[in-house]
Amino acid sequence: MSRGLKALSAFALVAVLAAGCAKGSATRESAPEGTSNIKYFTFSAAPDHLADLDKIVKAFEAANPSITVTVETAPFTDYFTKLQTAIAGQTAPDAFELNYENFVSYADAGALRDLGDQTAGDDLSAYAPRSLQTFGRNGKQYALPESYSAVLLFYNKDLFDKAKLAYPTADWTWDDELAAARKLTGGEVYGDFQPVQFFEFYKALAQAGGSFFGPDGKQAAFNGPQGVAAAEFLLAKPGKVMPTVAQIGGTPDYDTNLFKKGRLAMWHNGVWQFAGLKDVPFGWDVVVEPASTKASAVFQNAVAVSATTKNAAAAYKWLRFLTSSEVAATTRVASSWELPPLADAKAYAGYFEQTPPANRKAVLDAVASATAEPVIARQQELQDIVTKALEQAAAGKAPVQKALDDAAAKVNELTKSG
Amino acid sequence: MGNRLLYAALVVAGLVTLAPFGWTLLSSLSDGGVPGWPLDPSLGAYGDLLRAIPFWRVLLNSVVVAAVSTGLQVLTSSMAAYGFARLDFPLKDAVFVVYLATLMVPMQVLVVPLFIEMRTFDLVDTYAGLLAPTVASAFGVFFLRQAVRQVPRELDEAAVMDGAGHVRVFASVVLPLIRPALATFTIFAFMASWNAFLWPLVILRSPEFMTLPLGLATLQGQFTTRWDVVMAGSVVSVLPILVVYVLAQRHVIASVARTGLK
Repeated sequence: MSRGLKALSAFALVAVLAAGCAKGSATRESAPEGTSNIKYFTFSAAPDHLADLDKIVKAFEAANPSITVTVETAPFTDYFTKLQTAIAGQTAPDAFELNYENFVSYADAGALRDLGDQTAGDDLSAYAPRSLQTFGRNGKQYALPESYSAVLLFYNKDLFDKAKLAYPTADWTWDDELAAARKLTGGEVYGDFQPVQFFEFYKALAQAGGSFFGPDGKQAAFNGPQGVAAAEFLLAKPGKVMPTVAQIGGTPDYDTNLFKKGRLAMWHNGVWQFAGLKDVPFGWDVVVEPASTKASAVFQNAVAVSATTKNAAAAYKWLRFLTSSEVAATTRVASSWELPPLADAKAYAGYFEQTPPANRKAVLDAVASATAEPVIARQQELQDIVTKALEQAAAGKAPVQKALDDAAAKVNELTKSG
Repeated sequence: MGNRLLYAALVVAGLVTLAPFGWTLLSSLSDGGVPGWPLDPSLGAYGDLLRAIPFWRVLLNSVVVAAVSTGLQVLTSSMAAYGFARLDFPLKDAVFVVYLATLMVPMQVLVVPLFIEMRTFDLVDTYAGLLAPTVASAFGVFFLRQAVRQVPRELDEAAVMDGAGHVRVFASVVLPLIRPALATFTIFAFMASWNAFLWPLVILRSPEFMTLPLGLATLQGQFTTRWDVVMAGSVVSVLPILVVYVLAQRHVIASVARTGLK
């Protein structure tokens, strides 16, 4: 090797090493003197709403010239792996998003900053009080509500017309739903679709007037008569008015495709489906889920400030803007990106004027009857136990009462040890 | 007769192995990701894939990272393998056992300690941080050491007689003779890097560093996922592995056949 070549390759090596060690855009220190840079970590923006989030960031930076926001996103399924490692490795982002289940465990683990210093002089009346309370623990506010989604009953109007049945109303009970489902099932068409799993069960339990845990919040209470009624309501559907659990298997979006093809009359699903159903060739609408005691699943996301951040005040400012500013609310509504958790529904009136579905206001009925998901430290195991018990009962491997009793015993073990 | 049964069994096994790929391909061509009947193939998902993630950048990242990682691993592993097979030094066997023992520690356990190490070196969110843990491979050392041991010592000795040192023996005698094992290990290393998910997920922060598995994961939302697009991405991500495999196939078969010899 000639000397020139050696020098050149040495130079190339140094250049490669330097490039290899260069920080990426999300972690580069980019705040000039007198300004602060907030690193914000989110799952709800990707993959469809990155441009919308960018719009909110731009508006915030225009209103607060001394603060810049760097957004980092991860897909929901992997978000918490990444967040946990970042926190354990002491490189936590200044502010990050949490769903309700994870909010509980992160708050209890001390990873979230008590927002008391900031909220003390701040007027929080813009938020729906219930949403705000959801993200308080032990009298402290650990996060601000950011957005919510609700589960409703979707129905295919054409199929109801064909069967000469009246459309579902907010007054419907389980019996009305099951009776209509039986009449609508036939040929290629299924009358109803409601997954047999934990999320449907805790809600049906509340609709039956039961509660998941006893008054101490630890002793399982879902195996009482209301729990049996809830399980029986869910189990009355598969194989009769909807495909069997085995038929559905793990097929992704089985129900979505069934409904889109016009082969499903009623469907329990969330408002996030609205955008995908814009162009279906049949009429459809939504209504709050049937039950004699109304209880609806409302999924909330919140945003929190890291316990270790050095930019607490700026981070809080950003979160306030992200959750309650007019720009944020209108951007969310315009792009059907979940709903802002604001007290005054006028702030997102535009949402209710869009069609379909005509009856978007059903979302407010659902919120008025929101039922909280039971959350414990070992949440995933809790969900698996309940779902498995329901599947066992569905497959006829155990009577409903016994399946629930066994599940309750296992859940009690969990709450004792965890 | 026996042959026919054997072929029948092989055909069945082949079909079972191919079925998931076939399904992936079909799903990627079906609107909504669920193949229906009659088939109504469309390439729409592939177009959406290009729009949903900065696909070419992500692909380039994956190729470069996999190539560099593979190259470094083959280099370090073959040199270490030569050392363990041919040189004598104190505690050689003990050190080798420690090497092997590290194979038993799963990545999930190492993630946090490794992350903290990288943070200490300020390599979080860099290509260097992504590559560092993959530079050396205990499996590679083990695999290539077996291959080096099968090379007759007489060949090295002849070379030494002719005045060759260790570097010369390693580069001109041993390496050419273990080419099949090198090819096999190259494929393993390339695949491991190409498919790696957990470590890149944790160590990378910036979108411009994203590798293919990370890019595909971003297509999954909190409530809904476009499965046809995810499947289109999976199909595309399988192709490079196929190319590498076809190129090295001849050597792989030879190498696997030889692992039984001593």
